[in-house]
Amino acid sequence: MVGANILLVDTCKTYFENAAKAFSEIGIQATLRFAKNDIEAWSMLKGDDKLLPIPKIMLIDINAEGLNGIDLINKIRLDFELKSILIFVVSDVNNSENKRAALNLNIAGYMHKPFEKGEMIDFFSTLNDYWNSIEFSS
Amino acid sequence: MIQKLVNILLVEDDEVDVMNVKRAFSKNNIKNELFVAGNGVEALDMLRTSIVPLPRIIILDINMPKMNGIEFLKNLRDDENLKNISVFVMTTSNEDSDKINAYNLNVAGYILKPLSFEKFITSVATLKNFWSLCEM
Repeated sequence: MVGANILLVDTCKTYFENAAKAFSEIGIQATLRFAKNDIEAWSMLKGDDKLLPIPKIMLIDINAEGLNGIDLINKIRLDFELKSILIFVVSDVNNSENKRAALNLNIAGYMHKPFEKGEMIDFFSTLNDYWNSIEFSS
Repeated sequence: MIQKLVNILLVEDDEVDVMNVKRAFSKNNIKNELFVAGNGVEALDMLRTSIVPLPRIIILDINMPKMNGIEFLKNLRDDENLKNISVFVMTTSNEDSDKINAYNLNVAGYILKPLSFEKFITSVATLKNFWSLCEM
């Protein structure tokens, strides 16, 4: 995880800042990056100034307005370089159609989005324990 | 996942490892029903005939007779009715090619089989905590 990039795709910059604070408080050894929508995320993954190393983990709020998360996951799954990214979907609204679509695209997990500080710490701690327990390709 | 009592299919040919998973589940108080298949062919059959009822997740070994874990994953992802199942690899194989192939077939995690039973319990506890965050 040291030196790795984790890309958060969310329309709310404040949410990213709070998540980054939680990352630092927990001591997560990866850098959290931010894209405000699917288009920005795609350019961070495939554009001229793409993130290096390519993130192996992404967090996406698929039900945020102005962000086409399903389209983004679809494009990732069809791209030779990106298809193996572990995608964790977070959402605070019920949208069973999007949920089914995301699960069909083999996301690693569909999770309730935490907001309150303590909730965020618990959530990202559990995820971090999981990330540290699994192997990634070199 | 855990709260809804997802059915878990363990695809594993080694009886000692099957026993370790069962004991680690019990130590972690995991109440989900655990089904066991000895190889990929048997696992596909158990999924297609609904011997393992919905909803379900899979814990998958890589090196197995008849059909190995990677071949099984290819078949699973090509099957319209099975392709969305979450798969967690648990294997002794530390080969980069196995990790690459497994992640290209979109497993949710690749876990190296712990060498001691104590570590087995910890690994399963981490999985349980992660599952508790996930909705099916």
